[in-house]
Amino acid sequence: MILVALLMAQSAVTGERLFAQNCSVGYCHGVGGAAGRGPRLRGRGFEESYLLGVVRNGIPHSAMPAWKGRLSDADILAVVRYVESLSGGAGEQTHATVPEVRAAPVKIPPDVERGREVFFDATRDTPCSTCHELDARGTAVGPDLSKLGKMTPRDIAAALRLEQPSHLVAIRTTGGESIPALVVSEDESFVKLYDLGAALPVLRTLALSQIQSREAIPSWSHSPYLKGIDPAQMADLIAYLRWKAR
Amino acid sequence: MNHPLLSVAALGCAGLCLAGTIPAGVTGDDWPSYGGGDSAWRYSGLTQINRDNVHRLTAAWTFQTGVTEGGFQTTPIVVDGVMYISTSWNRVYAIDAATGRELWHYLYKNPREIGIQYSPWNRGVAVGDGRVFMGTLDNHVVALDQKTGREVWNVTVEDMRQCGCNITGAPLLVGNKVVVGVTGGDSAHRGYLTAFDTATGHLVWRFRTIPGPGEPGHETWKGDSWKFGGGPTWMTGSYDAQLNLIYWGVGNAAADFYGAERSGDNLYTDCIVALDADTGNLKWFYQEVPHDVWDFDAAFECVLLDLPIQGQPRKLLLNVNKGGYAFLLDRVTGEFVAAWPVARNVTWIRGVDAHGHLLGRLEPKENRPTMICPSVGGGRSWNQGAYSPNTGWFYTTGIEWCGKLMARKEAASEGSAFYGGTFQLLPPPDGKAGGHLDAYDPVDGKRFWTYESKYPLLASVLATAGDVVFTGDPTGEFFALDARTGKKLWSFQTGSGHRGSSITYAVGGRQFVATPSGWGSALAGVLAQIWPEAEDFRGGCTLFVFALPEEAPAQ
Repeated sequence: MILVALLMAQSAVTGERLFAQNCSVGYCHGVGGAAGRGPRLRGRGFEESYLLGVVRNGIPHSAMPAWKGRLSDADILAVVRYVESLSGGAGEQTHATVPEVRAAPVKIPPDVERGREVFFDATRDTPCSTCHELDARGTAVGPDLSKLGKMTPRDIAAALRLEQPSHLVAIRTTGGESIPALVVSEDESFVKLYDLGAALPVLRTLALSQIQSREAIPSWSHSPYLKGIDPAQMADLIAYLRWKAR
Repeated sequence: MNHPLLSVAALGCAGLCLAGTIPAGVTGDDWPSYGGGDSAWRYSGLTQINRDNVHRLTAAWTFQTGVTEGGFQTTPIVVDGVMYISTSWNRVYAIDAATGRELWHYLYKNPREIGIQYSPWNRGVAVGDGRVFMGTLDNHVVALDQKTGREVWNVTVEDMRQCGCNITGAPLLVGNKVVVGVTGGDSAHRGYLTAFDTATGHLVWRFRTIPGPGEPGHETWKGDSWKFGGGPTWMTGSYDAQLNLIYWGVGNAAADFYGAERSGDNLYTDCIVALDADTGNLKWFYQEVPHDVWDFDAAFECVLLDLPIQGQPRKLLLNVNKGGYAFLLDRVTGEFVAAWPVARNVTWIRGVDAHGHLLGRLEPKENRPTMICPSVGGGRSWNQGAYSPNTGWFYTTGIEWCGKLMARKEAASEGSAFYGGTFQLLPPPDGKAGGHLDAYDPVDGKRFWTYESKYPLLASVLATAGDVVFTGDPTGEFFALDARTGKKLWSFQTGSGHRGSSITYAVGGRQFVATPSGWGSALAGVLAQIWPEAEDFRGGCTLFVFALPEEAPAQ
């Protein structure tokens, strides 16, 4: 395959540059793989297939991230070749593991991109991602929004202004607290719930004995969370939600 | 050299301290918070173990945690005879502080992938209001029931995958609020300090360390650079109850080494900020390093001291920064008082003038390595110094090492590494690489004694009213020095290097000294760039507890 040949021709210079930008940075693997927060890579003689696997998929329960999706397959291979060169030349090359051809990148419309920025906007006190997860970012407290985008823009806008969501309850505690709650789980002794009474949702565990009553929620509105989002941004946000559901 | 303003020098607790009689800096039977007391002195009033008998210190018990990755960086907390420690991967143990028996443990549910560079270590918990509080490796704060270890609340401060940040520092408990910092100085992230209600976990306030549009200080950032300008709050601050102010050190600006895209002073990076404890509103700030291009955080401890300056009593704050300089400020107003170095090899500046301005900055150049001292590892690391009102001296470590620093333009990508360059550690050009522990006058930096170490000392210092100073080294030696002379009085090989913080406390009239032993951390890794043998330094994660031998019962 031509692509494979191209990948094979990746210059060591590319790998060195990519390593410097992504792997030796800061306290990770050190300049030239000399060690840091991460282990030393110089003079280790790793097998190429092992390196490719680790770089692509990361190491679970460690600080080593999966670079798949962050670097292109060609770049990952260039980095691996560079790491091999730190141990005195490329190791045993397993060409069978050279990545397959990827689909052409999808062009993301500008309004979708802007809507994504609104969704994750860290300059807002409570961006959507505080309570919703999309694109593997954010906190999955509230409903999964990947289906919401299947509705019409008008219905989406209405859903975002929901006043009395059926999945929330008002919990009154023996301590006199009233908690707008989303119950997550429950056993014979404890209730786990998200307390939505603060700017950041709190996953609380209450003993059943602490709960005085549970009722339909008298008033809870999603609208305050939309504060500061102007109509144009709202349109972008809806475009983003629809894009995710396409 | 006793300071007449402080009566605490006379306070000998001998295991019988009464709550309310101890100034905010001195600990008694308990070790209630990260820095000992709210003033972060790391000083105990206990005198049962002292310079005359410390050579008889013997192991009382150990506690094995089995979690060796990332080192054992905790400061144990002791309240009413129970010790609380945290380890890497956010495990918490409650232990009978007299016997070492486990009372409960809590194992945090770890995410499958951390995928960020700040790693799984943890520097300690806070205890109070019947709860144990901890920040997590994926940027949550959890509150546990102090009696059972059961999780009471858990709040996501910000999704780790989005911010590329997490929590490794110990929280600070202030009244009914738990205050928590965040990492992120080496990521494209905008830092903050957050306070939560101890009972409910509700967000009470959040102070953003980089002002947004329309806020004072925003003009110190070019373009959109404020959005990803760093300013982490990764260590633990202090609290003055009388002034109701929280003091917190803020870390470096991002990108670390490439500053052209963020021209300006970059407030409030590398600042000490004083915040109203109730609202989080900024009372004053002092910037130690305007427009940082060296990764020289001002994030370390804020030691609160009441001392005379030119005959006048002053409320002061002492902070040692990563650039190897101690800054002394007026903690009422934020006014600069003095600055003095704790490292000998300092070339990034020529000095600090009488107004606190940095002189002769040597900045890294774009795409060309520049030799700069100290290295990015710092003229001192985060592990805290100690202040003894008995001697009136401040005990802190210093590190002699340099490095080649190279700036490189880099695009910011939210939550991703954002260094803007690279570094390589090297020994000083005309000196030996190594570490030392020194005793200083906290006001003018006059040095009274020095203890030299082959390797950087990366553990906190503990001082006691028994005139003993404790710390440990990377080879596993835990040792006691005479607070007045620096003479080594005792040492014990714990089998793995020291990266955490030792404490002392008393249970039932018996004084104990506890130290975490367990090599690891970012600096432990980069040490190998100068000392290749350091790569093979053994990890570990064991708590050692020492006491004087108990008298044999009469037959």
